[in-house]
Amino acid sequence: MNKVNAEKQKITRSNLITFGMVIIAYVIVEIMLKTGNISSLFKGLLVPLCIYSILAVSLNLVVGISGELSLGHAGFMCVGAFTSATWSMLMSGSAMPAGLRFFIAIVIGAVSAAFFGFIIGIPVLRLKGDYLAIVTLAFGEIIKNLVNALYFGIDARGAHFSLEDSMHLNMEGGDIIIKGAQGITGTPKNSNFTIGVVLLIVALFIVLNLINSRTGRAIMAIRDNRIAAESVGLNVTKFKLLAFTISAAIAGVGGVLYAHNLSSLQALPKNFGYNQSIMILVFVVMGGIGNIRGSVVAAVVLTVLPELLRGLSDYRMLIYAIVLILMMLFTSAPSWIQYRERILMSFKKNKTERKEKD
Amino acid sequence: MSFISYLLNGLSLGSVYAIIALGYTMVYGIAKMLNFAHGDILMVGGYAAFIAFNSMGLPVVVAIPVSMVVCTLLGITIEKIAYKPLRKANSLSVLITAIGVSYLLQNLAQIIFTANPKSFSSFVGMKPLKLADGQLTISGETIVTIVTCVVIVVGLVTFINKTKAGQAMLAVSEDKGAATLMGVDVNGTISLTFAIGSALAAIGGILLCSAYPTLTPTTGAMPGIKAFVAAVLGGIGSIPGAFIGGIILGVLENLAKAYISSKLSDAIVFSVLIIVLLVKPTGILGKKIMEKV
Amino acid sequence: MATMLKVDSLGISFGGLKAVDNFNVEIEKNELYGLIGPNGAGKTTVFNLLTGVYKPTNGQISLDGDIITGLDCEAISKKGIARTFQNIRLFSQLSVLDNVKVGLHNNHGYSTLDGIFRTPKFRKVEKEMDERAMELLGVFELEDYCTYKASNLPYGQQRKLEIARALATGPKLLLLDEPAAGMNPNETEELMNTIRLVRDKFDMTILLIEHDMKLVSGICDRLTVLNFGQVLKQGNTQDVLHDPEVVKAYLGD
Repeated sequence: MNKVNAEKQKITRSNLITFGMVIIAYVIVEIMLKTGNISSLFKGLLVPLCIYSILAVSLNLVVGISGELSLGHAGFMCVGAFTSATWSMLMSGSAMPAGLRFFIAIVIGAVSAAFFGFIIGIPVLRLKGDYLAIVTLAFGEIIKNLVNALYFGIDARGAHFSLEDSMHLNMEGGDIIIKGAQGITGTPKNSNFTIGVVLLIVALFIVLNLINSRTGRAIMAIRDNRIAAESVGLNVTKFKLLAFTISAAIAGVGGVLYAHNLSSLQALPKNFGYNQSIMILVFVVMGGIGNIRGSVVAAVVLTVLPELLRGLSDYRMLIYAIVLILMMLFTSAPSWIQYRERILMSFKKNKTERKEKD
Repeated sequence: MSFISYLLNGLSLGSVYAIIALGYTMVYGIAKMLNFAHGDILMVGGYAAFIAFNSMGLPVVVAIPVSMVVCTLLGITIEKIAYKPLRKANSLSVLITAIGVSYLLQNLAQIIFTANPKSFSSFVGMKPLKLADGQLTISGETIVTIVTCVVIVVGLVTFINKTKAGQAMLAVSEDKGAATLMGVDVNGTISLTFAIGSALAAIGGILLCSAYPTLTPTTGAMPGIKAFVAAVLGGIGSIPGAFIGGIILGVLENLAKAYISSKLSDAIVFSVLIIVLLVKPTGILGKKIMEKV
Repeated sequence: MATMLKVDSLGISFGGLKAVDNFNVEIEKNELYGLIGPNGAGKTTVFNLLTGVYKPTNGQISLDGDIITGLDCEAISKKGIARTFQNIRLFSQLSVLDNVKVGLHNNHGYSTLDGIFRTPKFRKVEKEMDERAMELLGVFELEDYCTYKASNLPYGQQRKLEIARALATGPKLLLLDEPAAGMNPNETEELMNTIRLVRDKFDMTILLIEHDMKLVSGICDRLTVLNFGQVLKQGNTQDVLHDPEVVKAYLGD
């Protein structure tokens, strides 16, 4: 039992380090903000850093913990963004205080994304491996495509939808909120760095505690060996769906932050397309599959890196691509790992030899 | 009449998807990896053809082989440098590396050619065919694309079934270890597969740009994804499957654009993929996988 | 003695091929029963039918008086059948302790929300689970390995861990699929003791598939011999093993 408790303390310590890192980073940035030691470029990056960290944590729950490759997470982000922004637009004229309105927006974003995750998860999770990946990618693109074609308005008679154009809404006065490809304009700017960090901590709290619980163990057991998991009486579909739904909800919260960070919201390929999903997957893989803290670190480093390279203008994304390839080779290619270890060994050998000489 | 014209345009687009999907499917069959950079090889093929034909004024019969050679070399090089070392690593690392290669090619193209679109002049000199008293016009590009695709599919199937190299490909895709034991040159076979796939991407690129004459560094991205979808739809790893998947996708996309909604055509195409996979989880011609307990 | 497992004319065909046909067996409570037969005779298929991996084309299975024919794996596990696998199937990335705790999943409950918010119930149940899991590991002398990753265990220990995990589900009937495969004579000897211990300590009914005749004749009370998917012989271990037909099936003509 001592060993068991020691192991538990190790996990608790590791989780505390993760939270501590986020809090320390927050305090440092806040001090820099107060003292004005921060460039406007970096200031603009603060909320996106939280958004990407949240999304990386969310995707790691599916890819690392549940062991399913999803290439459609930007779709859930899109759902969270548009539902919450619609709510905020509807309520913008009302007497509701901004704080409460934004809190409800977060809940709406999370719940609606979770709903989509659940509905999509039922058919999708029956598939395996690369087939699952392509279907999640397809769903992500469908969501983006539908939102891009969606017109939504509200007047005295109630809500109106159309996939054609604003004329087809048959509005009698009232406001058109979602205007197809133009999306939503004039969303209140409620997101800020503090809220972003709080939401990141909440996401970390949920995912880390989930992993170290009965439910998390079941999810990981299914990932490791589905047949054995069934044989000990686990409901495979239920746990996969649970992980997928929670992950979608968290991605939706990332979308809420995104929608309330800029005043206009459009479903473009670059923010909600498969490229964005892949970008998040890159964070997860670079940070270590299943390593939640790693996801946050990778999301931050890989978001800041291209910005630091901005001086190199055209070459920055080229360098980013090369870094990506080299990192993968360094961490995963057997021949590179061997080479790396040999160099490390010779280092150690030199050290010991020197010591012996002394 | 307009229906036939939409259908033919769909067949033409579908043929392009099929040609690209063939490369996807062959590489997947043999290396069990999703080569996300495949669409970008197509883009490089487009630029190579553009330089050879438009800038250097070489004749079409020279420009096409030039583009194919460039892509073949590129494909083999990418495999050797980026994918081969990761052959035994987990599939996610390979996927990310392929994504890295995709970014690399796109950004290199952007630095060399800028993001401004190049207007690609068609490689097809054929005059449009007018049928039914001029009510139906079939462009030369449409005819050439469809014919090329059929020739390629027939050629590939023959190559795989009748030649030693083709049989080696089948062997390697079934079981690398056993193939090695039987004396098959696995590395050589994988290189050959990448070479053929990339050369096909070049042809796909030229045909695509001849029909839709704008060329940018991201030209290959969406057709690449669509071709990937086509390959999965048909049953990834299957050559006839890639052909069928490509054609279905192209026709569906064009008909959806014409009759349902031009804005929602992508959503419709992707929905069909999802429905097919739910009914047949490994695609139309995919093999059923059984896990032994 | 009461019957634990009763199987009546169980059969399954794969595309016309009858993998198992007209299989009957009755196993008493607390019995150690062996299922033997040449390679490809359909022994593992019988296990897959009993545990719900495959649905039988005909026949009936009843466990402790309950008819369980056609239920899925999850339901059958809850009814009380646990198994191990011929090719070991552990949760390779989880710790040894967690492997057993996954086995305990359905017997110790708290909700997902309890887990996320670390409620007192979570703490209490987790503590119970830890204690129970360590107890089970103790039976197999695996306590010292509890923090190891399952895939890092030596082969023999992996086999034991699989049995511990199966027992954690609190079964009435334990199915062991070639528990001695890949073990040397010393390890097999030790395993025989462990199996006997499991039977006595947990008052367990055990059905096992095995090729090692020393193990079979050493611990099994009764045997069924399967050949080409059909029952060739059934009865007391020594009688069956010396039956000329059985010898012929094993050694060929």
